[in-house]
Amino acid sequence: MRKLTIDGREIEVAEGTTVIAAARALGIEIPHFCWHPELSVAANCRMCLVEVEQQPKLQPSCQLEAADGMVVRTDTPRVREARRAMMEYLLLNHPVDCPICDQAGECKLQDYYMLYDLRASRLWSEEGKVRKRKRAVFGPHVVYDAERCVMCTRCVRFCAEVVRDPVLIEVHRGDHSEIAVAPGRTLDHAYSLMTAHVCPVGALTSRDFRFQCRVWFLASTPTICPGCATGCNAFLDHHRGEAFRLRPRENPAINRSWLCDDGVLAFRLHNDHRLIVPEVGRGDEARPVAWDEALAEAAALLRKVPRNQRAAVLSAEHSCEENWALAAFAREALGVERFFVTGRAAGAADELLRHADKNPNRAGVRWMLGAEPEPLERLADEATAGAIRGVLALGSAAAVPGPAAAAGLLRLEALVAIAPRRGPLPEVAHVRLPSPSFAEAAGTYVNARGWAQEFPRAMPPRGEALEVPELLARLARRLDLALPFRSAAEVRAAVAPRLPQPGAEGGAR
Amino acid sequence: MEEYREEELVLPADPMVLNMGPSHPAMHGTVRCVLRLDGEQVVDCDVQIGYLHRGFEKECEGGTWTEVFPYTDRLNYASPLLNNIGYALAVEKLLGITVPPRCQYLRVILGEVARICDHCVCNAAMAMELGAFTVFLYLVKAREWLFELLEEVTGARVTHSFCRIGGLRHDLPEGFGERLREALGKTLAAVEDCEKLLLRNRIFMDRTMEVGAISAERALAYGWTGPCLRSTGVAYDVRKIHPYLVYDQLEFDVPVGSRGDNYDRFVVRLEEIRQSARIIDQALRQLPGGPIAVPDDLGVILPDKLQTYTTIERTIQHFKIVTEGIQVPAGEVYSYTEAANGELGFYIVSTGGGRPHKCRVRPPCFANLQALPELVRGRLLPDIIPTFGSINMIGGECDR
Repeated sequence: MRKLTIDGREIEVAEGTTVIAAARALGIEIPHFCWHPELSVAANCRMCLVEVEQQPKLQPSCQLEAADGMVVRTDTPRVREARRAMMEYLLLNHPVDCPICDQAGECKLQDYYMLYDLRASRLWSEEGKVRKRKRAVFGPHVVYDAERCVMCTRCVRFCAEVVRDPVLIEVHRGDHSEIAVAPGRTLDHAYSLMTAHVCPVGALTSRDFRFQCRVWFLASTPTICPGCATGCNAFLDHHRGEAFRLRPRENPAINRSWLCDDGVLAFRLHNDHRLIVPEVGRGDEARPVAWDEALAEAAALLRKVPRNQRAAVLSAEHSCEENWALAAFAREALGVERFFVTGRAAGAADELLRHADKNPNRAGVRWMLGAEPEPLERLADEATAGAIRGVLALGSAAAVPGPAAAAGLLRLEALVAIAPRRGPLPEVAHVRLPSPSFAEAAGTYVNARGWAQEFPRAMPPRGEALEVPELLARLARRLDLALPFRSAAEVRAAVAPRLPQPGAEGGAR
Repeated sequence: MEEYREEELVLPADPMVLNMGPSHPAMHGTVRCVLRLDGEQVVDCDVQIGYLHRGFEKECEGGTWTEVFPYTDRLNYASPLLNNIGYALAVEKLLGITVPPRCQYLRVILGEVARICDHCVCNAAMAMELGAFTVFLYLVKAREWLFELLEEVTGARVTHSFCRIGGLRHDLPEGFGERLREALGKTLAAVEDCEKLLLRNRIFMDRTMEVGAISAERALAYGWTGPCLRSTGVAYDVRKIHPYLVYDQLEFDVPVGSRGDNYDRFVVRLEEIRQSARIIDQALRQLPGGPIAVPDDLGVILPDKLQTYTTIERTIQHFKIVTEGIQVPAGEVYSYTEAANGELGFYIVSTGGGRPHKCRVRPPCFANLQALPELVRGRLLPDIIPTFGSINMIGGECDR
């Protein structure tokens, strides 16, 4: 352990800790561009210079290891003057871009200028500024503006150290230096949007988010990425009912400071292909109807099917609460004994974050049902054979391989789908009932490692969508059946003890 | 048909309850007085306010520090500039900054013009409600000359939003001083005419003298300030006792009354118009040159436009001030000024950052109005009219 003093306050830190990290532990934020707690030290931005007793020159606190008896001052006139001078250099060739820059509002150049500089420019002509590339497309998701770049090399280090794909490099020297993609490559690895995320300025920006919304209009709600079974922690940034991006939320045990590209873009599950009014009819006969009519139709269809020929489909895309409510309703009110599960098809995986199962809650479905649900293919078989004739289904996606299986689903006499989005399963349903997206209802996901993670509701349901417990309550009234729960609070209370407990088997931690 | 015999009829013994307002021609400001009347005599008066409540203090928490200015315009809307100045001084106190001398003088000049307008309107309305329509026309016409000048400076007749934290929006236009002196000369002549018409007028004297009287002790107990308090003989004027801006460098008297009745309140206001004109005259003569706002490098005022459009430094500054607001350090402060109705206080709390955490207003006419029942109890119903008028309750300020 090393004991040092920062701004008159003593702190003990582990050997090898840098001064900037020690200061952060004390709640003292030392300004920095190039330093990132998850990346190696570059010490090239010189913004974090601090005064250390008995050392004549200012020291970069990101590189300086804490030592016993060290006395550090982070806010002296010398330090402030050094920061001001650094800001003047950094802004020297910076274009007047704030009005057209996506980073404006969350830009470290802006923040630090207001905190540490506030002087007028001494360069009186725009002509004198060094001009560079304005719109270099680096890859499918990222575009680069060399004029805005402060050459902190966070993106270079992120690709090399975290993704282990050193696709970005530094080229040229002095005020002509810039970031470039290695010859013959594009920035197309699965974490390319994180380079834009680590960029402290507006040099690397997301092509998806570009010019979509000013960041100060965005509200942020903590959430769990619905993109795969890893269960990365994230913030959902949204404005007036529309989602704009997911941002990583630090969780050292799961995703550290990162999200994959698919995760950042998973907000689209909220925006696109939404089902917002109840619909009745298949294919060309589909038409939007009022809730009353849709529920009457659903009830009539389900009633025609005898209890032993009914089944329910749970969804690995949906939260534990929604799945438990549906399972309890199906089992106790409809007398269903056969449960199947639907979800998005498997996809690419890697060792960093991405899981092959592209559903956030497959484990949660098992915990809620208390048994292993059957795969959807078997439902198609049973439907073809005529053993199952009526189905109440949750979820939009249906991983049904082959046309024969799809034809099986078409043979069902009653298929009532509760879904937030359009997709293969609702398309073949007789009645489609809109439910909230992942952002519109609070819930719990259990990730592949068996960790249950709760997330709050970010906004009210869009259109006429109803939260699943309420939707089922209305359906129960139509069917004259007793509902096994009376409120959303009762659903939550029923779900909590069924979740994997920390330390339990299959529920690590 | 049943026949009534007069000797059998019983007169009602209980007081009659009468709702005066909230929408009564003489209850300007949308306020309701629930009166209990014994014949024409007022037994009790219950003043009910709140009809103009807009949630000013809550609204302030939703805007940046600068975005509060338009709300302050709508407090005492008879003299919006004084509210602008009071709020600006409060935030500047929390920021620990002082505006340049020229700005201080300009604030004094424009503030006193607003005070004259306010007193003109108050006295004009009170005189009119007692039948003196000529006086109303004279004083409102005087206010019009001044409104035209304020419009010339600020671009608006009433909702000026002219102050900025750390300065003012614009400097004065060319030749403003001369035009203001001319308008003030005409205004003072009008004031003199009104005095000649009213102060020795039998009807006016009967309706105002000894009517709505209050002692200095009772007035102080109610928390009275401003012309109403001074009419009782207490020479309390924030400009004199706790000088702000450059009031300590200007000569003016604090006119006081002695009886604290409607007549004294009327006379004190007329005399204050003269004193304000005196202040303006001196301030115009002493008016120094120089900037009208603090330097751009403090980061509280929007930077120079040319530099904003051509340099990244000032673009950032402009951007951050507009989108996030001025960064005011955490703390709380009570700042008070002499507005037209008395001590206008702003108690503001900052938790750091671009928006007020709390912006509480001490509206002078709220304290003044609470004495109304005491002033009218035992008097006749028509006495409420001049008494209410001379208290100068302004709904925007009282109800917020």
